[in-house]
Amino acid sequence: MDRIVTGKPSRRAVLAGAAGVASLLAAPAVLRAQKRELVVGGAASHKPWVESIVIPAFEKKYGCKVIFEGTRSLVNLEKIQKNKDKPYMSVVQMDDPVMILAVQEGLLDPLTVAKVSNLATLVPGTTHMDGMWANYLRPWLGIAYNRNSMKAPPTSWADVYDPKYKGRIIVPSLQNTEGLPNIFMAGHLATGQPMEAMQRDTDAGFAKLVTLKPNLLTAYTQQPQAYNLLEQGEAWMIASAMSSYALERKAAGAPIDLVAPKEGVFAMPSGIAVVKGAPDPELAFAYVDELLGAEIQGRLVGPTFSLATNRHVPAPEGLPAGMTVHAIDWANVAKERKAWVARWDREMAL
Amino acid sequence: MRNRPDPVALLALPALLYLGIVYAVPLAGLLVGSVVRPGGVTLAPFADFFRDPFHWTVAGNTLRVAALTTLVCLAIGYPTAVALARARGFAQAAILVAIILPLSVGVVVKAFAWQIVLRRDGVVSQILVGLGVWDEPQRLLFTEAGLVIGAANVFVPFMILPVYSVLKTIDPRVGEAATTLGASPLYRFRKVTLPLALPGIVSGIAFVFSMTASMYVIPSLLVGDRFQTLATLTGRSFLFMRNEELGSTTAVVLLALTVAIVVGSTSLSRRLGGSS
Repeated sequence: MDRIVTGKPSRRAVLAGAAGVASLLAAPAVLRAQKRELVVGGAASHKPWVESIVIPAFEKKYGCKVIFEGTRSLVNLEKIQKNKDKPYMSVVQMDDPVMILAVQEGLLDPLTVAKVSNLATLVPGTTHMDGMWANYLRPWLGIAYNRNSMKAPPTSWADVYDPKYKGRIIVPSLQNTEGLPNIFMAGHLATGQPMEAMQRDTDAGFAKLVTLKPNLLTAYTQQPQAYNLLEQGEAWMIASAMSSYALERKAAGAPIDLVAPKEGVFAMPSGIAVVKGAPDPELAFAYVDELLGAEIQGRLVGPTFSLATNRHVPAPEGLPAGMTVHAIDWANVAKERKAWVARWDREMAL
Repeated sequence: MRNRPDPVALLALPALLYLGIVYAVPLAGLLVGSVVRPGGVTLAPFADFFRDPFHWTVAGNTLRVAALTTLVCLAIGYPTAVALARARGFAQAAILVAIILPLSVGVVVKAFAWQIVLRRDGVVSQILVGLGVWDEPQRLLFTEAGLVIGAANVFVPFMILPVYSVLKTIDPRVGEAATTLGASPLYRFRKVTLPLALPGIVSGIAFVFSMTASMYVIPSLLVGDRFQTLATLTGRSFLFMRNEELGSTTAVVLLALTVAIVVGSTSLSRRLGGSS
């Protein structure tokens, strides 16, 4: 379980500050070379903020040219796999479940504090598999609700089980990654056991989830359809809902809002890693360092409606300070998902 | 002298080539893929598939929805085809346009429209409450009934058009002759019109049934993830779960079931039609 720590400078923060100074001293070596090129692979949907915020700042600082190839995580994985002997892509931004596959195939060059000083400034639980990759942003999962249909916003994940919401609740299908936390939270609600334990033992979670069936309007696979139903008032709540989608709809004027229930929210982390044998590794690690730094992350949390991973960036507005952020054990998910989907199909069917 | 092949047969070459490349070869690949496993050829995936009662439910869902949709399409489509065959001039053109034009509207758009119509406060619910059929507003969206209604809307032209194309070739004097000879309207329909229209009805049923059994977008939007059919299970196995083994098994089961039912019903109706 992760917690975003606020306040009090710790010994760790002081160390991180020192590391920051060290990186400043190291920077001139990188700056010396002119007009180098760096190819970064990432999600197509990230293109707007990568090209308007990250790339201009990085190109200016390092006097280089960054080419962003926006596609899907699995396509990026394939690109690295196919060019394993002669990589052309230096940095890759992918979802955590896909990062695990890349690690298993030995495609990544681990991050170390010596090469990426901002690694020391990240909140716990955001560096994975001995530094193979780190999270630079974390969209979070809470409960989205229709402000016109609900007199008061929900406060707990248990609210969606209230019989008064018969046929008004939407959950993501288990084939959508954002659907996974429902099992873990249901287990936690049923037993009071910590979230780590509930990710491993899902029996209680499934037993509790089955009791949600009368309240279910549907289990969506298409996110826009679910929000359409929520905004038009046919559905009253979506649990769990992605901050990056729900808050964007709210900003566009939809009569919905997203709350962080008292049991905490889940992080849906976006990862960044350096490709093994990449051209210009020095510049690649510098790019990762920038994206993990407080300055860039501070500028990204707004437009991406996400939590930062750098501990010096405050939580975005509307989120309680010190709110619990549950981390998902992706290695465990990779192992169990097939069985969970099979069980979901059978027990949650109409 | 040997018989020389009819050069007209060469006209089928483009279609043959096209279908061979885009249909026959991949289909053969799928069939082979469903029985070849490391270690040799095996029918074990099918045995495993049918050992699981859940898969019987999924196959049942698929066939039930396809059968109900076909029935609804036939009930709506046959009278429409009769009207279309009898109409003349502007009326006929208007009916034809009304049937064909909606085909140009994408399935996704139609499914989204049905999503609004079938809601708790949608038109269907309001009408049924207004008529006193329902005591309170109910939702058809994300129910099997809603799926059948939506699918029938999408596929009904594929019932109307083949039936119409056969009905319009029936000489109206045949019916008149039956009447002159004293046949009641019902007797005339059973013994004269229906047997003559049967080829059209059969191809309409074959079209609608096979298209409904394999539809993917409509169920995923109108009934959702909690109602699996063989087609949605196949799509998910390939697209999301990366479980190509299960995907090829379900695809072959769907193909076999659809072909069996279409071919079976065709030969059955031919026999019935021929005996009457």
